[in-house]
Amino acid sequence: MGIEDTTQERVRARDAAMRLLNRLTTGAAVSALVAVGFFAAVSAHTIPGTASSSTASTTTASSSSASTTSSGLQSSTTPVTSSSSSGVVVSGGS
Amino acid sequence: MDSTLLWYTTRGAGAVSLVLLSAVVVLGILSVLRVQSTAWPGFLTIGLHRNLALMTVVFLALHIVTAVVDPFTHLGWLTAVLPFSSYYRTFWLGLGTVAFELLLAVVLTSLARGFIGQVGWRLVHWLSYASWPIAVLHGFGTGTDAWSAWLFALQAVCIVAVLAAIGYRVVAGSRDPLAAARSSFQAGVDRREAR
Repeated sequence: MGIEDTTQERVRARDAAMRLLNRLTTGAAVSALVAVGFFAAVSAHTIPGTASSSTASTTTASSSSASTTSSGLQSSTTPVTSSSSSGVVVSGGS
Repeated sequence: MDSTLLWYTTRGAGAVSLVLLSAVVVLGILSVLRVQSTAWPGFLTIGLHRNLALMTVVFLALHIVTAVVDPFTHLGWLTAVLPFSSYYRTFWLGLGTVAFELLLAVVLTSLARGFIGQVGWRLVHWLSYASWPIAVLHGFGTGTDAWSAWLFALQAVCIVAVLAAIGYRVVAGSRDPLAAARSSFQAGVDRREAR
């Protein structure tokens, strides 16, 4: 009878520990997901990376205008697009 | 997807991966020391250690994928697989690749423990002691936020936690329940051989 009680007690303790393990794992997964969002927001706040973005757009603008310049025909056939595009290049270049 | 959003996610997932990896290392050390009580049986530590290790791989995958697919970085998939192949911060980024591959080896061999045997598993598992410091160095060398106060504090907490666990293990020594029996048996064998 004593052995049965002890066994039952151990089974109950094991079940409780398994439930705790599931809860801890779920809690850790949810917390980690929330933490990714939180740390992403904090990192965005501390180093938003605006300088990198403007550098990227400048690079894109200059490369696209360079192709326009190399083609040559673009500027004469589409005056509005080419003039604004080439304007950026000229001011940037000089 | 917006490049900036990917960049922020990479940084967030990297920070979370470091925290999870540190927790995995601490739990691994505690499981070796057989830290347990009535409310916290030993298998709970081992189970949580295993689950968090798998979770770490998932968040590391998020960290790597968002970094690679970010059109601004142009890192390429080869960087995620082949260490020190990146044009950008070659050494520090390469450390991240090495740390991930070591962790992957540890996790995969743990999942296939029944096939590779206890000795092989244990040998590979020691790599986790290399994976963690390499990951920390990767964070310091590559991370955009490495020297930001918030990430610096987070890294400091992780380092202190792991070092405290290692220190505790060194001080506490082996908690092998058969250690006394083994040493007395070995002493008996030694005495017998000496005759």
